[in-house]
Amino acid sequence: MPIHTNETQFIHDIRAALGIRANNSDARQKEIFTDPAQPPEAQQMLLDTICARQHSDRMDLLDRLSREAVPLNLKVIPMKNEAEAAKAIAGLVADTTPEWGDKKSVVQWDHPMIKALALDSALKDQNVPVYTAAFDGSETSHNQKNLKRDQIREQVTASYIGVTSADFCLADTATLVMRSRPAEARSVSLLPSIHVAVIRKEQILSDMKELYALLKFDPDTRGKGLPHHMVMISGPSKTADIELVMVHGAHGPRALYLYVITGE
Amino acid sequence: MSDEILTDKYVENSTRAIEDDILQGALGKIQSGLAKATQASYRQLDEGPELRMTAHDIREKTINNLDVVLTQLAAKVRENGGKVYFAKTAEQAVAYTLDVARQFKVKQVVKGKSMVSEEIGLNPALEAQGIEVNETDLGEYIIQVAGEKPSHIIAPAIHKTREQVGRLFAEHLGVPYTDDPPELTRIARKALRDKFLQADMGISGCNLACAETGHMTVVSNEGNIRMSTTLPRVHVAIMGMERVVANLEDHDILFRLLSRGAAAQKLGGCVSYIGGPGGPDFPDGPEAFHLVILDNGRSRILADPKFREILYCIRCSACLNACPVYGKIGGHAYGATYCGPIGAVLTPLMVGMNKAKDLCLGETLCGACRQACSVNIDLPRMLLELRYRLAYGDDDWQTKQVSPLEKTIHQAWAFLAGHPALYRAFLKAGAMGQKVFPKYRGMIRKMPGPVVGWTRDRDIQPLAHTPFRERFKTLSSKKVR
Repeated sequence: MPIHTNETQFIHDIRAALGIRANNSDARQKEIFTDPAQPPEAQQMLLDTICARQHSDRMDLLDRLSREAVPLNLKVIPMKNEAEAAKAIAGLVADTTPEWGDKKSVVQWDHPMIKALALDSALKDQNVPVYTAAFDGSETSHNQKNLKRDQIREQVTASYIGVTSADFCLADTATLVMRSRPAEARSVSLLPSIHVAVIRKEQILSDMKELYALLKFDPDTRGKGLPHHMVMISGPSKTADIELVMVHGAHGPRALYLYVITGE
Repeated sequence: MSDEILTDKYVENSTRAIEDDILQGALGKIQSGLAKATQASYRQLDEGPELRMTAHDIREKTINNLDVVLTQLAAKVRENGGKVYFAKTAEQAVAYTLDVARQFKVKQVVKGKSMVSEEIGLNPALEAQGIEVNETDLGEYIIQVAGEKPSHIIAPAIHKTREQVGRLFAEHLGVPYTDDPPELTRIARKALRDKFLQADMGISGCNLACAETGHMTVVSNEGNIRMSTTLPRVHVAIMGMERVVANLEDHDILFRLLSRGAAAQKLGGCVSYIGGPGGPDFPDGPEAFHLVILDNGRSRILADPKFREILYCIRCSACLNACPVYGKIGGHAYGATYCGPIGAVLTPLMVGMNKAKDLCLGETLCGACRQACSVNIDLPRMLLELRYRLAYGDDDWQTKQVSPLEKTIHQAWAFLAGHPALYRAFLKAGAMGQKVFPKYRGMIRKMPGPVVGWTRDRDIQPLAHTPFRERFKTLSSKKVR
């Protein structure tokens, strides 16, 4: 591998092309980049709006989300509580068949809300195994971790339904936002033919502007900054590459069910 | 560019494209549907279509400080665990990618759609090393199976009918013939799922990187880019050095415009933010992430104030969908990676103005591209600028004057225009002389010799017997009466 990254010469060439001779990078840096500790007025207003949201505002957002989801073929289904959602998922498992192979299995995140669904027992009657795509803490060596990784890949590949939560959901674009965490394998929302997501209505934001305001200017959300990976999913996979005819299910999940727990 | 450049066949290939009924149908469909939908989606923005002007300002500021922005991007990506390499040339970018492939003993690659990888000719280089390369965007997959090149930035197989795709799949994939788009999509989905699961390397482009967070973002509706960047052991992303913004606030604005310009969508179906591998605590995702930042002639464009604006482009392809020339000749006629109005400006700057001169001469300067542009780039101005450089030559760009004769004619014209009596005499002589040309319904049908091209495809209006100057005198006296 070349250790040399070419950076110095490359940046030097850009500076020459821009005609910048003075060593004023620091000053320009301050001018170009905005400071997360000092939200501009517009962003501060967004943060205040999010903070002040009442129950009725949240139900309005849920309505908007449901409307925006329709053309994207994303099914938004409000649920009173986790138990009801678990029942709905069990119904989904009963009504659907696997795309690849004929054995049914479900894979899920290691996540408090998903745990609360207790899918294991909800699917017991149907004899459908539920895998959790995460390290369980027993893997200490490099080798053990690699073996577990291989096992997780196998289970996710074999499962036809993947169950996740999300960090946020954007009503305006019907978008699930997921920041990567060790307990939340990326492939669970990617490889299975059906993606099921469960969130609370409090996680719904208006749009990308609100999301970015939180991610950058809200100290609690920001934490140490964005992780190495984040994904935004707006409905199941689709393509229009053959004669511009819209087809759902190009590569990722062919169907996406979003259960929103309203708590009432 | 290591890819084959066929810009000198522009006229020939355009002629062929215009006679291709299938292509004409496809182009008509994309232009009538998408171009209008994009304009409507700009109007539906919260901030209104003026957001395109704001975006133009953001791009201007970013490009004018590109050194600082890229330095920050590289530092932040490294903080996220990614590796960054700066490639001055296409060859360097290819060599680096091959090095990474060797390091990980890569045998199979899955690729997300990436114009920049076409630009540097990455696929043939990988294949020369015995590495299997699979394009995974459905359109790209179709043209890879067909052994062709993309004809549109975001709809690469737009020139193919469902029947052609059906025959292609039947022939190459050993499946029964079907011309049903959902069934054809299912066939490709099945074939590519195995490739995704087997591949050891994923390669993607980059729609837009964000310097302050240290991520590059890629968008796809199919989910294929997410597959390519999640499942293989190593991910290499290649980005043109201009595809970056400083802040998340800027990213929000540009990303919304990108989705609308590209597909009249509020947001693409699947957006990945990638800054590095997860590391040992993560149960999946690549072990390594490499970001290759590519110059390949861009800094030379940056250095020319008249052309710097072309680097504001975020490759949404809205200009293709609005351009009346692209709408007739399609993408292949442009003979290089980038087609349409963006290609007509960018290609001459990348492969040489003389070599690609016909591209900028072929555009109409109607201005539709600028109105369609998600960041309001003044493409017509740069098309004119290219014509100027070609007319007068430009040593900085090693551009030779195209036609000294043309320059002489223009100088003669300028002289005439400055001498009214001479000008009038010239026109009078012309009006007499043109009588020898064959006419039809008052129009000249055919002219000889060096001006034969003027009447090849159209009739030409003859010079008036009584010039307007003369008629104006009688007109104005009538009005007074």
